[in-house]
Amino acid sequence: MNDVLTIGGKQFDSRLFLGTGRYPNPFVQNQSIEASEAEVLTFAIRRVNLNSPDEDAILQHLGDKTFQYLPNTSGATSAEEAVRIAKLARSSGLSNWIKIEVSRNDKTLLPDPIETVKATEILANDGFVVLPYTSDDPALCYRLQEAGAAAVMPGGSPIGTGLGILNPYNIELITEELTVPVIVDAGLGSAADVTKAMELGADGVLLNTAIAKARNPVKMAEAVKHAIKAGRLSYLSGRIPKKKYATASSTVNYISK
Amino acid sequence: MASVSIVGGGVIGLSIAYECRKRGFEVTVIESGVCGGQASGAAAGMLAPYSEITEDPDDFFKLCQRSLNLYPDWVEHIMQSSNESFEFSNCGSLYAIFHEADLLSLEAKKRWQSEYGIQSYLLSGDEAREKEPLLSDDVYAALWCPAESHIYAPGYVKALIQACRNAGVSIIEHAGEAELVDGEPHLVSTDKGLIKGDFIVLATGAWSQNWEKGLNCSLPVFPIRGQICAYDGPSLSHIVFTSQGYFVGKENGTLIAGASEDIAGFNTSVTEHGINRLESWSKKVLPDLREERPFHKWAGLRPASQDGFPIIGKVIEKPSILIASGHYRNGILLSPVTAEIIANEIEEMPQEIPIESFRPERFQFV
Repeated sequence: MNDVLTIGGKQFDSRLFLGTGRYPNPFVQNQSIEASEAEVLTFAIRRVNLNSPDEDAILQHLGDKTFQYLPNTSGATSAEEAVRIAKLARSSGLSNWIKIEVSRNDKTLLPDPIETVKATEILANDGFVVLPYTSDDPALCYRLQEAGAAAVMPGGSPIGTGLGILNPYNIELITEELTVPVIVDAGLGSAADVTKAMELGADGVLLNTAIAKARNPVKMAEAVKHAIKAGRLSYLSGRIPKKKYATASSTVNYISK
Repeated sequence: MASVSIVGGGVIGLSIAYECRKRGFEVTVIESGVCGGQASGAAAGMLAPYSEITEDPDDFFKLCQRSLNLYPDWVEHIMQSSNESFEFSNCGSLYAIFHEADLLSLEAKKRWQSEYGIQSYLLSGDEAREKEPLLSDDVYAALWCPAESHIYAPGYVKALIQACRNAGVSIIEHAGEAELVDGEPHLVSTDKGLIKGDFIVLATGAWSQNWEKGLNCSLPVFPIRGQICAYDGPSLSHIVFTSQGYFVGKENGTLIAGASEDIAGFNTSVTEHGINRLESWSKKVLPDLREERPFHKWAGLRPASQDGFPIIGKVIEKPSILIASGHYRNGILLSPVTAEIIANEIEEMPQEIPIESFRPERFQFV
């Protein structure tokens, strides 16, 4: 099965977008990235040494492997700020991909929808490959697609909470309605959450804390990789309808006389 | 009185030795080489958990906070017992940011840490430069945390060795690689013969994975090389943290810049890449260093555990054996609290803070 994910003209075998924050140490970080087989890595631009990314405290450990970098604007509180950050990242040569993350609340880190749409429009028009992190509102996600997003990233629940997908109904509506890829971002806590997202029709998931803060991040990375495949196959295969009463799995027809 | 034999003469092993001796145990420290010869002696000696922990108030945060609070009394005891003094500076720290977008995370940290009684103050770039005039004009803002301090690690370790000796701890150096003896939970075999202990404490830092076989449990501790360099001045009056490294000025006039981490097995040499990135970052944070070159460069092996938490406590299946390892970047800071926890475990006394997250049994072979 040639089931690849295409975003911004690039093709990926892996449907996992992995965050590079919060790992206990560089050894576990590298092993986790390897075990996850992720091809897209995200990180906060505000933390990166933009003068020399190869000397950055985190990026330097990635070595010679080639990843699609997805720098994010976390910490931005307005569209203007997000745009400034995105331009910094592009001019440093890191990437023209940008994950827009705009929030005004340091407690929930929930995205500000209006500023997110604004920033998406400005940056998409400026030639960026824009992936906005947004709340799980179907109408809003549709607007982001119209604004030029290359993929839309609704949150399952607030960043780092591990609460999973709080509104599966909305996520399913979003994956049904959008023509650009939908990446479920934020709040996923375990392999089960990941499978759920994929069964709801997501084209991919973005994780960080669920792997980085697991007791064994490397094994959790492997679990997530399998969970994506399981969920994707399950989605493509089509689940059975739910019924109230039992149907025997060995039907009379097959009983030999 | 019962006896405690400790394998590993780093800051963790020595602190446990001192604490157990104070509580009346007969104590032996077994060191493969010389005491304080590895990560302990290489440390920059920062006692700065509030700058280092940016995330949330978990058990590890409480462990660090407890240790920082134990420090003043602990240092006083070590100085008295050793009759030596060493630098212990309550200078406070500045966490400097270069980007407006980093403000939100500083605010979040300030908010949750204040719930734990930690006072910190958000300063503008100009206010930060008023406190620390060497800071670059590029510093956008800083979080000032007066409670953080630093210690001169080589002086501290040296005094700790002397304090142990003066208190009657037997220290055996050059003992080679120690091994547990099959079926004998109270014996350690070394190049210097068999050593007994009613309790055996394994405090071997980056080398802890060697015990997995003898203990039949998973001890995922990996060596992470930390490279550091030192300049001959100029001096700083606060510890300065940034996303890429830290700076700390010592009483002896040196300015330490750290650290470059990498994965290099048990190799403790410095690399060009590791030191170069410290040098170029130093120039960005402290422009006065533009013309300076470090006069000293060195590296140590940080014992990093799989989940980032240290491994402290009794081995449930072999209760005469205890582990104190995996302290990663925080061995110096966590030395007093680790000594307290291990001594409490041995005496079966209640712990002051929750230690369930640090127990050795949490790791399973997967």
